[in-house]
Amino acid sequence: MERNGWTPTACYQCKAECAILVRVEDGVVKEIKGNPKGRGKACVKGMAGVSLQYNPDRLTHPLKRVGKRGEGKFERISWDEAMDIMADKLTDLKERGEAHKFTASFFPHSITDPKWRFLDAYGGFINTALPHCDSAKILSFIKAMGGVPNHHIPPAFDTVPKGGIMIMAGRHAFGCLDDAAVPRDILNAKERGAKLVVIDPLFTADAAKADWWIPIKPAGDTALFLGMINHIVTNELYNKKFVENWIREGDFDKLKEYIADKTPQAMSVICDVSAKNIVKLADMCAAAPSVGIDSFKGIMLGQAMDFGHAWTMLLAVTGNIDNPGGQPLPSLTPMSPVEPIPTGPDLSELGWHRTGPNRDMFDNYGFIMEPTWYEAQAIKDDGLKMLLVSECNPAMTEMGQDEWRKAVCMAGEGDEEYKLELMVSYELMLSETSKYADLVLPDKSYFERWELMYMPWWYNFGQGILLRQPVVEAAGECRHSNEVFIELGKRLTPEYFDFKDDLEFYDIQLAGLGLSVEKLLEMGGIWTTGTMGFRKYEQAGGFGTPSGKVHLYWEDLEAVDQAMPRPGLAAEYEVDVDKYPFILVSYRTIFHQGSGQWTHNNPQLRDPVSGMYDNPVLINTAKAVELGIANGDVITLRSRTGEVQARAKLSERIRPDCLGLHHGFGSTIGRVAVTGDGVSDNALIPDSGSTLEWQDMVGGESHVSTRVSIV
Amino acid sequence: MTQLSLMVDLDRCIGCKTCIVACRNANDLTDHEAMPGQMPHYLRVESVREGVFPNLSLTSRVIPCQHCKNAQCIKACDSDAITKDPGTGIVHIDTDKCNGAKACMEACPYDVIQFDELNGHAHKCDMCSAKIAMGEEPVCVESCLTDALSFGEKELLKQSALDAGKEIVKKMSAQSVLYVRTPA
Repeated sequence: MERNGWTPTACYQCKAECAILVRVEDGVVKEIKGNPKGRGKACVKGMAGVSLQYNPDRLTHPLKRVGKRGEGKFERISWDEAMDIMADKLTDLKERGEAHKFTASFFPHSITDPKWRFLDAYGGFINTALPHCDSAKILSFIKAMGGVPNHHIPPAFDTVPKGGIMIMAGRHAFGCLDDAAVPRDILNAKERGAKLVVIDPLFTADAAKADWWIPIKPAGDTALFLGMINHIVTNELYNKKFVENWIREGDFDKLKEYIADKTPQAMSVICDVSAKNIVKLADMCAAAPSVGIDSFKGIMLGQAMDFGHAWTMLLAVTGNIDNPGGQPLPSLTPMSPVEPIPTGPDLSELGWHRTGPNRDMFDNYGFIMEPTWYEAQAIKDDGLKMLLVSECNPAMTEMGQDEWRKAVCMAGEGDEEYKLELMVSYELMLSETSKYADLVLPDKSYFERWELMYMPWWYNFGQGILLRQPVVEAAGECRHSNEVFIELGKRLTPEYFDFKDDLEFYDIQLAGLGLSVEKLLEMGGIWTTGTMGFRKYEQAGGFGTPSGKVHLYWEDLEAVDQAMPRPGLAAEYEVDVDKYPFILVSYRTIFHQGSGQWTHNNPQLRDPVSGMYDNPVLINTAKAVELGIANGDVITLRSRTGEVQARAKLSERIRPDCLGLHHGFGSTIGRVAVTGDGVSDNALIPDSGSTLEWQDMVGGESHVSTRVSIV
Repeated sequence: MTQLSLMVDLDRCIGCKTCIVACRNANDLTDHEAMPGQMPHYLRVESVREGVFPNLSLTSRVIPCQHCKNAQCIKACDSDAITKDPGTGIVHIDTDKCNGAKACMEACPYDVIQFDELNGHAHKCDMCSAKIAMGEEPVCVESCLTDALSFGEKELLKQSALDAGKEIVKKMSAQSVLYVRTPA
């Protein structure tokens, strides 16, 4: 392959997957930049993709475990042997009637992904970090407004009018996890006269550019929004036209009744934002031509479903749904189905969260994938027998990571060495998770593989397609997981894989748009309708809800007392307050994404000049002085379930009742990743399977944070 | 006077360091064997946080070679390897002439000169002269995540800043790089 010059493709340093151009010289990736035919930007992570590509730690051939799980000892094997090991275990499970005990964990970045097809055809499950991240919000939006199960959809900042309000609730939008163009678009909106309001316990890069930073108490955002709704509704500042036409009959009256006692004063006590400021923000939102709210789960969550609910209510009463500057509702790009369509196993019957002793706890849990946070428990309950982990790192990203590691190493019965019979890590570089794998498979990087992406959750919102194409040859024996799953499909479920390869699979789907991979290449790798459209519900004659209107009252959740959003803080913040006086804030920066080696083992992103090297614990300066802690002191943080030592960094940028750790540090493997003061936040956070009563059982896993003390 | 320049809009710089990595890639400074802290860099970002919780401000800015009016590095160099191009105002290091004495590095008040140990010479930002010659912008400007950077003749940059109602921060803009912001 000789591709000198700039070639359009898609970044994959994070899940935003921005459209980029890559410059190749003599078969080597040299430079990266944003594709002007996309949104034109690539962030620091994207630029550092060059250092990912040529990382000396890249895996180049399959490996098989030789020591115990966790020791990280491997020997080289052939792809034939690796494929046979996987196919034999998959056949064995199927013959035992336990195909549903196979799960592949990966980011479902496109429903055109052949891995997903294999799972549906074979009878296993997909699992992803989505239940951690924002499933509660997804469910809230579906319940309130209908529509596709969209991933995180931030406001379209390029559509915010002069005077519009942009609210970041615990959201680090400048981290570019939606698109690298987001910071530019927010700053452009500000220049047009829009206002940026950042609600966060931490003074972030976003807060530094905000017109107003509100250092709220973690999980206080639901109370804040309810206080605002109270002020807006009781003072008749709501959008009367929208409320009359588009809110389900009776719901607004129920809302009025519910929020009667959720006064700014009452909510102020919960969220630690003054009543005066709650009223001020409410007045600003009521008077503005648009309000857009960007968040993920909210601020350190705990009651994510409640927050998502209050969020949609605020949007509804101010009429900020699918309008310029408000909350976009995405459309699905019509692709052709690949016949025959596999149906997949019934998650509500066979899902491993449904087969263990806790199944009753999940009665209201309504997401479309298995929750990663229940992996450890599922292994203990014999509900999960083969796990393939691709491009994610549960040994570090799981809350209560030690419990995950323990579960993966639990002894099996009979001939089986372990309860989890086969563990496969599909990676670019050895990760913490790889150390626990029986097989480690070398993946192709995003510079070496084909992928077709069409995602309703993209920042460009409108219908669109982006083609990822190889720009350089893969190193050694690397194979992309999609190629391997297609081969497994051809071996195990051939009726669903009656196409030559991934490109033919994509061609079939593209036919619905009169496109093909070849045509897309001629077009520069991007197809779009060129618009996202506004107030599409008017054209469609209503919303995608059963009534066609926005639902504020969720009668199906009456039994769990969540028909209306509960204003209280997250459960994990309400207990043991005296024993663990600080709330741990797990924060993010633009330099790292998750705990993956692609950023944490990247010499440019861990370079102190061009990235972030250490992970000290942030402590409010005045609070540290009060406790006799000096800058650089090694302090011990203790939670209910874990303990870590970390260097203290005194900072004015954090609330006195919080401590801050960056997410994803603390790897014990990787040439670069092991350097510096790396501390993992998840060593402190309790295992999800053991704290089900804390969790938001309708929305998904809740706690990504916990209370801690300084020992 | 002729002086090509960079202008940094402090209202827009978020300290993301994208330009640093883009600059490394473009100038072949990216070293795949290097450990954190070992890679050369023509740019760095400085962020200054002021105030006490909860009344805080943060100013981030990128610092490239300032292409000084009376460059200390030129005076310090005893092998005549450093010159200020009269046609552009860009300060260049001729790596063939450089004798590796590092006097320029010690003299530079902005600490932006790098040293190539392997080849024994100093090197630094030349404002992407090769790109400029083709009518393109320096890579830091082109790659800036937030469009905080602009490039051109200093006098015109100054004019555009004033036209946009920005003030030039004199303390930071002593040499040929301009730092501007909306007046408080």
